[in-house]
Amino acid sequence: MTRYELPAMVVEHRRRGANLYELILHAPPIAQGATPGQFVMLRPMRTHAPLWRRPYSILRANPDKGVFSILYSVQSAFTELLSLKPIGSTVQTLGPLGSYFQPVRSARRHILVAGGVGAPPLCFFAARLAPTLQSGEQILILEGARRADLLVGMDEFRALGAEVRVATDDGSKGYKGYVTSLLEMALNEPIESAVYACGPNRMLQAVAQLCTARGVPCQISLDAPMPCGTGVCLGCAVKVNTPDGGAWYKRACTEGPVFWAEEVVWE
Amino acid sequence: MTPDLSVALGRLRLRNPVMVAAGTFGYGLDYRDLVDLTQLGAIVTKSLTLAPRMGNPPPRVAETPAGMLNAIGLQNDGVEAFILETLPRLREYGTPIVASVAGETIEEYVQVAMKLSRAEGVAALELNLSCPNQARGGMEYGVHPELTAQVVAAVRQATDLPLIAKLSPNVGDITPIAQAAVQAGADILCLINTVLGVAVDARTRQFRLASKVGGLSGPAVKPIALYHLWRVRQSLPETPLIGVGGISSVDDALEFILLGAHAVQIGTANYVQPTLAQEVAQGLAAYLQENGIDSVTAIRGTVR
Ligand SMILES: Cc1cc2nc3c(=O)[nH]c(=O)nc-3n(C[C@H](O)[C@H](O)[C@H](O)COP(=O)(O)OP(=O)(O)OC[C@H]3O[C@@H](n4cnc5c(N)ncnc54)[C@H](O)[C@@H]3O)c2cc1C
Ligand SMILES: Cc1cc2nc3c(=O)[nH]c(=O)nc-3n(C[C@H](O)[C@H](O)[C@H](O)COP(=O)(O)O)c2cc1C
Ligand code: FES
Repeated sequence: MTRYELPAMVVEHRRRGANLYELILHAPPIAQGATPGQFVMLRPMRTHAPLWRRPYSILRANPDKGVFSILYSVQSAFTELLSLKPIGSTVQTLGPLGSYFQPVRSARRHILVAGGVGAPPLCFFAARLAPTLQSGEQILILEGARRADLLVGMDEFRALGAEVRVATDDGSKGYKGYVTSLLEMALNEPIESAVYACGPNRMLQAVAQLCTARGVPCQISLDAPMPCGTGVCLGCAVKVNTPDGGAWYKRACTEGPVFWAEEVVWE
Repeated sequence: MTPDLSVALGRLRLRNPVMVAAGTFGYGLDYRDLVDLTQLGAIVTKSLTLAPRMGNPPPRVAETPAGMLNAIGLQNDGVEAFILETLPRLREYGTPIVASVAGETIEEYVQVAMKLSRAEGVAALELNLSCPNQARGGMEYGVHPELTAQVVAAVRQATDLPLIAKLSPNVGDITPIAQAAVQAGADILCLINTVLGVAVDARTRQFRLASKVGGLSGPAVKPIALYHLWRVRQSLPETPLIGVGGISSVDDALEFILLGAHAVQIGTANYVQPTLAQEVAQGLAAYLQENGIDSVTAIRGTVR
């Protein structure tokens, strides 16, 4: 895996929702190397507070134009500063980093489960997966958020022509309840499925449990604090089962963020 | 004329005074694709223990204002794996390798030090004295002069390599500990390791680290590191010192050198800017040139 660090130029920076922005960066080696599920570490400013860079999943990449984009919600100091970056300025960028989603070719149906701001890597995955589907293979998107206006990446998913089922906690759109209930219903349908999920860790735990109980192949992209994103600090530890029946900590930034569900030990 | 950046810390000779700190640069090879390892003064490895160590449960890190707390719990693959898998490739770069030695017991420190001393390519040992002492309920070795002396003396017996004692800042007066380490046979002192701290999440009403207590590092600790370094410089004027804590620029490194550090280490800043150490070395050269000074040793300790 080759990673690159460079000052990437902002070529587009647009609002995509109430609190949601898409940032398009020019960084040809990263755009060319990016695989769905991978992320970049961004450093838009040289501040001591916030100190760390932050990880962002790649939403889409255009190798020919040498650009890729991320989708982020403004939450706190870091994302506030990021949202101020004008077109033409540069953002120090390191990537592509981490593991990626691997299509399970034996499955007839690929179920992508997105929770809120966890949608971007699945948008990228769906976009790269769709053109490779054989006849009889399909993509099903399940997306959940607290409210309708917090659903992320719906335009991307719809553009692929994939079936999309939505759940909101308050029922403002689609099914009222958790996206994991939609998953349970989908897994009850008699079609051989594989699951790929990204969202809050609580959601991923529920997804992992539903899938492992049924023997459904499942990959999840975990969230963890990432001081370095490069494998040197061991701050992003994720507990995993080892082949000898024991347990060890792997790094979410390097061996992850995408793990096989049955590998992860939940505590 | 290009200024002379080389420094001698007793027998340990470095091409420049900018090292990378333990636990912030992996085992040494991890950044080889992003950093020119041949431009570093020295590379300090992650602390090594006798057997592989799993480390603490997550969350292990929390960002704090201008700093971070960590409680990694010495996760590492063990000294044997380092010697077999990393050292042969790392020594090819020709940059001095300082192996960081950790232990839960004095016996473990000695065993790890012996294995590293027999391996080819280790330039010096750095004793991580911030390890929890099992016999004393997890208290750091380095907060106690006698315990510090015991560890240093035991390892001194076991190795001929230059011995660096890395001191804990979690003490009122660091000078008795610094003196104890030198009397017990440490050639060089390195300071500081992380500063104890806690952080609470007001939303979840829980500690932000699973182990509750962690070590603070980053720009926030720089004045503490400078203070301890300055105190030790006064009490031990002859001992080579390595300054570490919060360095993230050339000026930060200069502060330590002006107060008497022979060399500096860059820690947390490596996470944010992996090339910082090599840039600081270049920046030191530029600073000396601009000021018409021909060697870095000429400015060492000139602020008293
Ligand atoms: C692999 C990976 C991929 C990611 N991809 C994306 C992505 O595509 N898009 C995206 O938007 N984000 C993504 N993230 C999350 C992202 O890295 C940032 O964490 C996020 O943008 C928040 O940044 P912030 O600094 O603005 O907020 P932070 O300061 O990090 O705060 C995050 C949240 O925690 C709260 N908070 C702040 N301080 C504290 C505290 N002391 N204690 C408790 N809570 C606190 C804030 O109010 C906020 O709600 C990803 C994370 C990972 C690990
Ligand atoms: C995540 C992390 C892991 C560390 N691991 C070690 C270690 O294994 N051994 C050690 O002696 N110091 C360790 N340190 C301490 C650093 O080497 C350094 O002394 C300290 O962080 C202060 O410097 P800084 O502010 O530049 O980071 C670690 C620091 C951090 C942040
Ligand atoms: S974030 Fe530092 S090792 Fe993963």
